[in-house]
Amino acid sequence: MQVDEFLAPRILIVSGKGGVGKTTVAAALALVAARSGRTVCIAEVDRKGTLPRMFRAGTLTYQPREMSPGVWGMNIVPEDALAEYLDVQYHMRRISRIFTSTQFVDYITTAAPGLKDILTLGKIWYLEQDRGARFDTIVVDAPAAGHMLTFLSAPMGLSDALRVGPVRRQAEWLLDMLRDPARSRVHLVTLPEEMPVAETLETTAQLGTKVGVASGAVFANGVYSPLLSTPERETLVDLVATGDLTILATEAKGAGLTLDEDDMQALVGYARFLEARRSIQTTHLRKLKKGVDEPIVELPFLFSAGLELPDIETLADVIEDEVADL
Amino acid sequence: MNPIEEIVARKQVIVCAGSGGVGKTTTAAAIALQAAVMGRKTVVLTIDPAKRLASSLGLKDLSNEPSKVAPRKFQSASLKPKGELHAMMLDTKSTFDEVVMQYAPSREQAERIIANRFYKNISGTLSGTQEYMAMEKLYELHAQGAYDLLVIDTPPTRNALDFLDAPKRMNDFFESKVLRWFLMPYMKAGGGLMRVANVAATTFLKVVKRIVGGDVLEDTAEFFGNLEGMYEGFKQRARDVAALLRSDETAFVIVTSPSEDSVREATFFAARLNEEKLPFGALVVNRVHPKLGDGIDVKPRHLSKLEKGGKDARMLAKLLDNEEAFMRVVNLEEKNLDSLSRKVPRHKWVRVPYLEREAVDFPGLVAIADQLFGAPDTHVASH
Repeated sequence: MQVDEFLAPRILIVSGKGGVGKTTVAAALALVAARSGRTVCIAEVDRKGTLPRMFRAGTLTYQPREMSPGVWGMNIVPEDALAEYLDVQYHMRRISRIFTSTQFVDYITTAAPGLKDILTLGKIWYLEQDRGARFDTIVVDAPAAGHMLTFLSAPMGLSDALRVGPVRRQAEWLLDMLRDPARSRVHLVTLPEEMPVAETLETTAQLGTKVGVASGAVFANGVYSPLLSTPERETLVDLVATGDLTILATEAKGAGLTLDEDDMQALVGYARFLEARRSIQTTHLRKLKKGVDEPIVELPFLFSAGLELPDIETLADVIEDEVADL
Repeated sequence: MNPIEEIVARKQVIVCAGSGGVGKTTTAAAIALQAAVMGRKTVVLTIDPAKRLASSLGLKDLSNEPSKVAPRKFQSASLKPKGELHAMMLDTKSTFDEVVMQYAPSREQAERIIANRFYKNISGTLSGTQEYMAMEKLYELHAQGAYDLLVIDTPPTRNALDFLDAPKRMNDFFESKVLRWFLMPYMKAGGGLMRVANVAATTFLKVVKRIVGGDVLEDTAEFFGNLEGMYEGFKQRARDVAALLRSDETAFVIVTSPSEDSVREATFFAARLNEEKLPFGALVVNRVHPKLGDGIDVKPRHLSKLEKGGKDARMLAKLLDNEEAFMRVVNLEEKNLDSLSRKVPRHKWVRVPYLEREAVDFPGLVAIADQLFGAPDTHVASH
């Protein structure tokens, strides 16, 4: 698949369980889009501040801001979206400011829980319609998977509740946007572990039936690359079984490196650790592949505990390669 | 002494808190398991356990009441518990219903509230409800006095502190004057007040009504009307819960992973406990990459020489590469964790490394418990 084809739907909704690297993947997808010459906006839906830190940009607000060339960031705040809506729709700028600044919005959104979601989706729609905006691609760093389904179902609830009127019509615009695979795709992020995979299987099953939004790819994050070839692994296993690792020290010495017993134990220990983690991951990747129809993009485990722009660039490279193979 | 063992022996309530995805539920379950082994009659209140973890504790569905974990589970792991382990999953909606039943002046009023649509929305989806109800359930279990120790998992919020504020936030929410003023036109007795309310409010309400529908506002008004007379009960309960959390009987366990984000969250949380004089018990660092050896000083020339060598040399080059990569992660994790050592003394830390199996079944939990109750943190930064 060409990257252009992958990015043809302009709205990329990225979701997954907490802690799986949703924001990282959203950022990497944005870089892929920016590299292809697109101007892209990443919209944070549930403020957490991870995204601007990755780009070393300050706190994001409702006003999009360029974080790196071609990559903009914003934070969709439902209160701001409501103020903007009232302003555009009813020319109620001053009044709406008064009300949206009070707790009142909290009550109204509690009374109609889908309203916050509608307002957020409405803003995304507004960005997509290009009215005064300028984004070729909109990456939505969506709420965690469970909430994401509720989030995306909100317009359905509204269009069911209201039979007529302008709001009902607007709810249908949102549904049209979400249900058109040429306009929106949901990309799920997961880890090759028990809970995240189980949740991904549930979510993909519900996306189509409950929400009617087309899915894009499933990103399996943090996958360890294999280290040893099969014969090498066998050699190592035999070595460990004999309990004598001197051959490693001998080889090292030949290259001018001195290894003591602790060093050799660490070498073997980390190789075994990697193998153990990989075998857990392989099991869950297999379950994932069996359980979903979506193409799976494997992203490598990055040996860095804090994610910075170079790491995101690395992931963007991998996504470009893997998308080409889809 | 291991800090977790210490609180398990001495406290009656252990609250596990941390940001999402750091293994709070597993930690809570493993602490409770070991407490039972040590002889305490323990109940663990889980919020949203993984299916396999839940079934490994014998939890098949939400019952909102504790059920005993079968002794044969322990036997199969060659353990003989001197105490008992009970487990439950929080059902937010039923807990809220119970609270309403308890505080409503009459059964009819309670039923009216429970049938109200606005109530259904709050009890199901309002952010903060789950936290609030977790605290309610904790209080109820404590008040019943049927257990020696309660271990509670906290809801998976982005912000680890949310549950501390939840009772107060909910009470403020119920009592808002702003809301009353807005809803006056919809309150039964206040029908004639529509004219008195200012033009701005009237215009705004019209728009809101157009957006969400008139029923929504009526439901809301009805709900708050029915809540009259119950506020004092809610508030008293919130004060009681706050007092319990602050008391000597409670200990907080902060759960984190070594990632930058969760360490940041854990640092805030530790500071907040301190400010509020809430009793801190231990810090659990989950998902740590193990530190093996002290790092090997490999130069590129060593590697390039090995890579050109025979098959054993080439294998060694890979092993060295792999060791270097993991040591890099270990050092970065250590650097992330450093900021925490200023808030939490290291002898209160317990590390749980990535294990070779996942903690999704009973033996997995036992393996985690072994780590949690092992020697306190000895893995001190080399720098």
